[in-house]
Amino acid sequence: MHPEKLKHDFEPKIIAFVCTWCTYAGADLAGTSRMQYPANVRVLKFPCTGRIDPVFILKAFQQGADGVLVSGCHPGDCHYIAGNFHARRRFAAFRKLLEFVGVDLERLQFSWVSAAEGGKWVEVVTDLTEKVRNMGPMTEFKELALEEQWSGTIDTPELKEAYNAI
Amino acid sequence: MSRIGVFVCHCGENISRTVDVERVAAQVGKMPGVAFATDYKYMCSDPGQTLLKKTIQEQKLSHVVVAACSPRMHEKTFRKAVEAAGLNPYLCEMANIREHCSWVHEDKQEATAKAIEIVGMLVERVKKNRVLPTITVPVTKRSLVIGGGIAGIQAALDIADAGHHVVLVERDPSIGGHMAQLSETFPTLDCSQCIMTPKMVDVANHPNITLYSYSEIEQVDGYIGNFQVTIRRKARSVDEDKCTGCGVCMEKCPVKKIPNKFDCNLGMRPAIYVPFPQAVPNTPVIDRDNCIKFKTGKCGLCQKVCGPGAVDYEQEDRLVVEPVGAIVVATGFDLYTIDEKPKGSMIKGYGEFGHGKIPDVIDGMTFERLASASGPTGGKILRPSDGKEPKQIVFIQCIGSRAREKGISYCSKVCCMYTAKHTMLYHHKVHDGQAYVFFMDARTPGKAYDEFWRRSIEEEEAVYIRGMVSRLYQKGDKIVVMGSDIAVGVQVEIEADMVVLATAIQPRTGADSLAQKLGISYDKYNFYSEAHAKLRPVECATAGIYLVGACQGPKDIPDTVSQASAAAAKVMTLFAKDKLEREPIVARVKEAGCVGCFACKKVCAYGAVEEKEIRDRQGNLIKVVAYVNPGVCGGCGTCQATCPSKSVELDGYTDEQIVAMIEAL
Amino acid sequence: MTQTIDTTIYAAVSEAIQAEAKRILTAGEVTAVVGYAAARRKGSAQPIVITSAVDAQKLIFTPACVNNLAVYLTKAKKEIPKSGRIGIVVKGCDLKALVGLMGESQLKREQLYLIGVPCAGVLASTIQPDTGLTSDSIAPKCLECDAHLPQGCDFVPTQTPVSPELEKKYAAEIARLEALTPQERWAYWKEQFSKCIKCYACRQVCPFCFCEQCLCDRNKPQMVDTTPRPAGNTAWHIVRAMHLAGRCAGCAECERVCPMDIPLNLLNRKMAKELKELYDYEAGFQVNDKGPLNSYTEKDDQSFIK
Repeated sequence: MHPEKLKHDFEPKIIAFVCTWCTYAGADLAGTSRMQYPANVRVLKFPCTGRIDPVFILKAFQQGADGVLVSGCHPGDCHYIAGNFHARRRFAAFRKLLEFVGVDLERLQFSWVSAAEGGKWVEVVTDLTEKVRNMGPMTEFKELALEEQWSGTIDTPELKEAYNAI
Repeated sequence: MSRIGVFVCHCGENISRTVDVERVAAQVGKMPGVAFATDYKYMCSDPGQTLLKKTIQEQKLSHVVVAACSPRMHEKTFRKAVEAAGLNPYLCEMANIREHCSWVHEDKQEATAKAIEIVGMLVERVKKNRVLPTITVPVTKRSLVIGGGIAGIQAALDIADAGHHVVLVERDPSIGGHMAQLSETFPTLDCSQCIMTPKMVDVANHPNITLYSYSEIEQVDGYIGNFQVTIRRKARSVDEDKCTGCGVCMEKCPVKKIPNKFDCNLGMRPAIYVPFPQAVPNTPVIDRDNCIKFKTGKCGLCQKVCGPGAVDYEQEDRLVVEPVGAIVVATGFDLYTIDEKPKGSMIKGYGEFGHGKIPDVIDGMTFERLASASGPTGGKILRPSDGKEPKQIVFIQCIGSRAREKGISYCSKVCCMYTAKHTMLYHHKVHDGQAYVFFMDARTPGKAYDEFWRRSIEEEEAVYIRGMVSRLYQKGDKIVVMGSDIAVGVQVEIEADMVVLATAIQPRTGADSLAQKLGISYDKYNFYSEAHAKLRPVECATAGIYLVGACQGPKDIPDTVSQASAAAAKVMTLFAKDKLEREPIVARVKEAGCVGCFACKKVCAYGAVEEKEIRDRQGNLIKVVAYVNPGVCGGCGTCQATCPSKSVELDGYTDEQIVAMIEAL
Repeated sequence: MTQTIDTTIYAAVSEAIQAEAKRILTAGEVTAVVGYAAARRKGSAQPIVITSAVDAQKLIFTPACVNNLAVYLTKAKKEIPKSGRIGIVVKGCDLKALVGLMGESQLKREQLYLIGVPCAGVLASTIQPDTGLTSDSIAPKCLECDAHLPQGCDFVPTQTPVSPELEKKYAAEIARLEALTPQERWAYWKEQFSKCIKCYACRQVCPFCFCEQCLCDRNKPQMVDTTPRPAGNTAWHIVRAMHLAGRCAGCAECERVCPMDIPLNLLNRKMAKELKELYDYEAGFQVNDKGPLNSYTEKDDQSFIK
């Protein structure tokens, strides 16, 4: 009855931080409309994208997420007047920072999904899942967590000398 | 130690078809802190809820997770049930395994695994949930209405009739606003003063209304239910309590030739005056800029002739503080003046229509005064320049309005209708005259409106020319109006005796500074912003403040009156309870960590963050910290994400709860 | 090619600072002056707080006056501002920090008497204090300085600093890193952050790290790993850079005090560059109601949002 489902070698973990009024409701609509999308996403509900702290994104990657989605109301639709406007600036800056330290921004997606856009939710989640699945696991933070000591090389003559003298 | 109960719902087959609910319950039951886990066919049904309540009591559960549909669907249901069983409702969370899982995935294994993870996340979250008591805020059942035009008067009367006290503040010496200036009103052509003045008298006589005319809002403190409003009562130089309104002072005043603003400067008034005969209150005010006594120290005639001794040259501005629970803003509009460009205004002057330069080019309000039976000409349409009756009159619509390149892109809404009315009034008064109207479109939606406009053409012989005026100049005692008729495609030239411009409606000057005092938002034109354009059109985003009339956007009288009653109803709804109850999802400041950088205050869209001084027992200031007023807080949590030290926390969505969920992954 | 930077005005500047400090202390306009004094090593300088006019002669300004003294008004010496109006010697870069602190309600303008310093530059942290100032020995932040003459101070000596156009090292380094692949950048920062020993000197010296309890010290919940391991270090430096975005004006004290020579100001400059490009915002020039990350416009860029 069901079409043959493709089995993949790697199933990424996707975490979605969403606002309750628009995107969470949009995801609900996708459900009530019985749309289908990959089961990789875990949704965390916030009152507003304005509540979403950049630290949560960092934390999610550190906890092993392979991709992170942040989604809220379209500009002007914020239930709390301006939370999404503040979020937009905050994340515009934060993604630049992550990019600069070497996080591949392909793993971090931002979107506006309204309560009426069940289809868009499916599209955003499916696209991100497939993109991250092709990229493979996010190893950077995981490897970092395994490293215990200073990984730097002793590369100055002074340090080398001091080290050899021990 | 938590004793969490997990209830996994089948939702008939909606969930159990793709999610192995028994397995979910079994797996989650093994999680640390979970004391009880079960599955049930319909959790939201009566037996389901009974099961929930019974289990809470029997198993002495500390927290509850219901794994079922979306919390948007049944969170309230289950929190109520949990409360009935004696637990705080905020110790219950829902795990959405229907909309976000069983309905969107087909593979049972995948869906089951995901459901277990979703429920697991919510179990970790609920462990960090705290007891949240419902927040109540006391309500002062008195209301402030700012602006004494038809908007403010209607709102004040409705609220006062409901038995609540109203403080009505009007900037001018009399209430009445623009409606008192109008001659007749569309679409019925009844006399504006005849329907307006009784309402003004009602205000004056109403036992529940305190009227502060010639007063302005100085400062607004507090929040919904608990505002403290400081009102500046400008020095009137006449004691309102003593004055009987006999008018002898006005008769005796030697200065007689001051242009009266009420009559659009066409009529004259003395230095001690009421703006118009039916003014409420009927207490004169001394125009100190033009009074001889104030200019030279001599005269004092009005004081000498005043029987009750009401004239008081020493009077000073007084500040009164009124506690109120709700504020209705009804500050109305100004007409766009095109002969000058106000400082700092984005609106560019027109210039090409000669308003302010050619005396017989007037605006719509000036025409109203000419047409008004109580106006400076006694209702005769006469040219300001030479007092002759104009035989050819041209009306030009959309002056300023809908001119994006000039800075106003909106439609002023009332001009099409009042211009149609003007052509009729003109035709009634000057039988041998001819009215022409240059217009872009006729916008006449409203009950009996289009019929009214058609009548001006079909019965009252107004000639409507679709097109704009390109040039206008004085030639002898005529004004030559050149324009194009785009319907026919020809150039038109009319030698008019008078030109009336339908100028745009703008918010009152100073609307922005009042908004800042009130803490409400406004758009780029300074019109006040409603909380939601469709669903909350009379409320401000700032709780407890309501909008009426043209201060929110161009509006005619029927719309304004409806909105006034709507705002009054909102105020009455607020006043229906002694205490305001609200969901306890509000931000709270942890004062120990707060260093008072007020980033939270900067991002708060509700103005809920205040500065609070912390002092030691000797009264020495230790530090200034943020304080979130729970009555005002909207609960978005933007402050928490902004706070560098996380010293402000949104109850119900604390960092602990969220981090617990992320760590559960 | 090494360029010599003329610092001959510093002697006259020092004298002017001394005279002004003496005057305001004598007149009772301030209760203390925070400035620089000679330290024990030849040519070196250290911060000093003087409360009597007699000590005014101790004040100096030399290329070794590297510290940003703003930190003494917030957390390092919290009791100082409570004693009354304070005089403070500020370079252009330090003034930007004070301006930021005023915008964040940590200081009030009227509490301060600002003695601005015409400054051609100070020495890099790795250079011996009695070295002459050249394009090689100058602190990297001075290469990009746009505030040689601090604006809006209560007193500024009349000397004009000569500041030749120099190669901008941060800008060049940011451009170099931006050109790399994410993997290469990650490798670079991994190397850098791995050196971190979590001594928090960067936090201690930063005028903007004035929180009483740092988010990164909290354990309920533990938002940021606190251990001095690569994972925790990376998290700390990312959070730190984010918290300083839109506030840091580049005094580069974090980088100066870092015992492991992590190029911390590089992160701060990168964020400043982005905020300038995105919102045309530059920190430190005027006391702002709101910084770029606690304000918004409806038309902000959202090209990155689906």
